[in-house]
Amino acid sequence: MTGTYKIADEIIFVESVYPTVHEYYRGYEASGTPDFSVKTSVEDIVFEREKTENGEMFPDSYLEEIAMYRKICEKMPYYDTFLFHGSCIAVDDEGYLFGAPSGTGKSTHAKLWCDNLGERAVMVNDDKPLIRICGDGAYAYGTPYNGKHRRGENTKVRLKAICMLSQSPDNGIREITRSEAYPLIIGQTYRPYDREAFVKTLDLVDRLFENVKLYSLRCNMEKEAFEVSYNKMRED
Amino acid sequence: MRLNKDFIYRKVGSDSVLVPVGSSSFSGMVKGNATTGELIECLKEDMTEEQMIERLLEKYDAPREIIAADVANVLNKLRQIGAIEE
Repeated sequence: MTGTYKIADEIIFVESVYPTVHEYYRGYEASGTPDFSVKTSVEDIVFEREKTENGEMFPDSYLEEIAMYRKICEKMPYYDTFLFHGSCIAVDDEGYLFGAPSGTGKSTHAKLWCDNLGERAVMVNDDKPLIRICGDGAYAYGTPYNGKHRRGENTKVRLKAICMLSQSPDNGIREITRSEAYPLIIGQTYRPYDREAFVKTLDLVDRLFENVKLYSLRCNMEKEAFEVSYNKMRED
Repeated sequence: MRLNKDFIYRKVGSDSVLVPVGSSSFSGMVKGNATTGELIECLKEDMTEEQMIERLLEKYDAPREIIAADVANVLNKLRQIGAIEE
């Protein structure tokens, strides 16, 4: 099955074994000459099954969705774009990106922002946004890959801050240096298998650092966590 | 010995950092000081441990045994993450 989609401002021709990917990409349909094409095969699905924990429990069609994103993210660095594992919120048209290893509570914290800010907050993507480095800043894009709660929009926002989270009984936030942030950011950045794409990704991370403020937040799940993080990042 | 080409060397501020090309687990990043950076530069060429010690002796005013221990220590760390091809 085939389809054409626009993701992070790139027109992509997508060819899959199963139709599920195309349902998943609903809302991103586009027309026009593709910037690039991606195609998954049975081998790619087998590869994802081996890489995924309890892979044998997932249907081929689900694994193909992951395989397709991998194909896309292997190409994206050639378009100044890379995948970051995090939850991105737009508030008054400024982007805040929360990063942390799976299970830390990125989505939970992002939801606190949404609950407390109401319509001022837009969930751009709750799991795997794409980050594009442009002349005037770094932009986070919504993608079909928006987490298990499927929270996100087909939209983009200029990033103001990246905030790395850790769990804590109390709440506190501080600005961190690039060298402090680097392993945390790289840990949540997709690292392509293609060496050239990987080097481009590291170049893009360097440029990302020139365009955003970096924070470390220790937080619980109370409203105060939102207040502490929002008030600090908002002010700066 | 030389650097495994699947590891990319970057400078981040004053840190020297080695990052491995794509894989799901992320345990392979090494952060080090200027000596680490110097050694990684050596590893871009094919060099023996002895040659590396000589190279660092030219640059740093420190006793040979301290430099040799430093080199052994850094090389050991790099070996553990698979960053060195013997």
